[in-house]
Amino acid sequence: MLELNAATLAYGQATAVHGVSLHVRLGEIVTLIGANGAGKTTLLRAVSGLIAPKSGSITFEGRTLRGLSPDKIVRLGLAHCPEGRQVLASLSVQDNLELGAYIRSDTAGIRQDLDMVFDLFPRLRERAGQLAGTLSGGEQQMLAIGRALMCRPKLLLLDEPSLGLAPIITQGIFDIITNLNWQGVTILLVEQNAHMAMKIAHRAYVLEAGQIVAEGNAQELAGDERVRKAYLG
Amino acid sequence: MSLAWFLQNLLNGLSIGSVYAVFALGYTLVFSILGIINFAHGAVFTLGAYLTYVLAVGEFGLNGMLAGVTLPFKLPFALALLVGAALSGLAGVAVERMAFRPLRKRGADALLALVSSLGVALILVNFIQYLFGAEIYSFPPDILGDLPPAMLFQVGEEFVAVRTIQAVLFGVSLLMLLLLVWFIQFTKRGKALRAMAENPETASLLGINVDTFVLGTFFISGVLGGLSGTLIGVSFGLAGPYFGVSYGLKTLAVIVLGGLGSIPGAVLGGLVIGLAEAFLPPDLSSFKEAVAYALLFIVLLVRPQGLLGHNAEEKV
Ligand SMILES: Nc1ncnc2c1ncn2[C@@H]1O[C@H](COP(=O)(O)OP(=O)(O)O)[C@@H](O)[C@H]1O
Ligand SMILES: [Mg+2]
Repeated sequence: MLELNAATLAYGQATAVHGVSLHVRLGEIVTLIGANGAGKTTLLRAVSGLIAPKSGSITFEGRTLRGLSPDKIVRLGLAHCPEGRQVLASLSVQDNLELGAYIRSDTAGIRQDLDMVFDLFPRLRERAGQLAGTLSGGEQQMLAIGRALMCRPKLLLLDEPSLGLAPIITQGIFDIITNLNWQGVTILLVEQNAHMAMKIAHRAYVLEAGQIVAEGNAQELAGDERVRKAYLG
Repeated sequence: MSLAWFLQNLLNGLSIGSVYAVFALGYTLVFSILGIINFAHGAVFTLGAYLTYVLAVGEFGLNGMLAGVTLPFKLPFALALLVGAALSGLAGVAVERMAFRPLRKRGADALLALVSSLGVALILVNFIQYLFGAEIYSFPPDILGDLPPAMLFQVGEEFVAVRTIQAVLFGVSLLMLLLLVWFIQFTKRGKALRAMAENPETASLLGINVDTFVLGTFFISGVLGGLSGTLIGVSFGLAGPYFGVSYGLKTLAVIVLGGLGSIPGAVLGGLVIGLAEAFLPPDLSSFKEAVAYALLFIVLLVRPQGLLGHNAEEKV
């Protein structure tokens, strides 16, 4: 479904990701783990069009994403829930969610999905009229995920959804990610919290200093001595 | 200082202040999405006034490139105002393409865009001078058709005069303000615009095309500029191609006074300065142009972020 082929990504002269190849198949949860600064966020940003690859290719459903701006890429069914949540603080929770459905015009379907998100995260329903900036960190993460779901994505990119959250809240979020996957959403999950990510993922990639150093079935990889040492403590 | 005196000044202040508010919102909209003051806004204000003049009166002045040219038609004032405003909106779009977009695409410093907007302002003003000449244009007194120039209302022993022009100024400005607030607060595109003002990158991830919205914002800003130029022009005449520049500077004081980037601040700032000018004692009337800056100075001493602006800390 998503395929990166020898993608090299750079900020000016500084290369952050060196010729990485990876793929995500329809229906999978794939996790990309790695230490801080490994290049995980950079990779997701390239997929959603926020930065242009220096070389290599990125394709989604067989179609190259080269030259497409982020607002075009969303329309292909690829939602990016960015690192640090990035909720629109000055807008209400409901407005945030409605803007998640910006690319859609089926009013009835949008209303239905809004209800679906509120059922998924009842906290958000209680706070629908509140400014997003006044939510707690966990609630903001729920809002960011809910907002990404509002465009009915085929593929959901999640960048460190557990960042800064209490373990119990993280667990809740990961349960929901698993749930979404059962409902048919393909997921590419970037995490530093390798333990939990490996538990719910089908396959995993380990990124180190901008290069893939290990990949494979999540269970097997979790058993790999090197990976255990470096990422699972 | 009777009640009639008070009401008269209140009326004068609100009507001119509401136009300042509309003009100021043109700066504020662009500032809130790009973080830059668009110095060409004053030139678009001038352009709007001249365009409406020509459309409504049907002829050009005595010097300038188009001296003596007459149009084969004359539009009714209301229509000329609308067409003039729409053309000003297009001028706003042109300003974005010329002064802002090329720099934005290169990720240039905001200060450079400010300088390039100043450059475009000069080009525009010179272009206006080239076409229309440097003379003063005044709308003919019958521009509003058969409406009486003013209505008198008795208050106690005295009279309060409501000039028809004032009513037009206030009515049109109020309508524009309400339309704008409705658009920004309640429509999908208005919400998208606010999303973009807060975080363009996140907005783009939601499917909002940033370039289109920047362009649309410049269009709306241009419409507001052209409209307010016409309203001031009908009220006080078009005092040469540079008249928008001085109003532009004064309106900068309005937006800083109200709080940079704040929409309610721009409205409040416009009304405050309009009222302050109106209530200025007659023997100080030669200082009228200084009122805005004096007020600005005083307010900034007490509240550096302006009346309704946010603290830098609050923003983060
Ligand atoms: N905007 C940027 N400009 C320059 N370098 C950056 C920028 N963002 C990230 N980097 C660099 O790219 C590398 C990868 O960063 P990132 O993708 O954020 O890593 P991760 O998400 O895995 O923590 C790091 O060395 C980081 O310093
Ligand atoms: Mg990161």
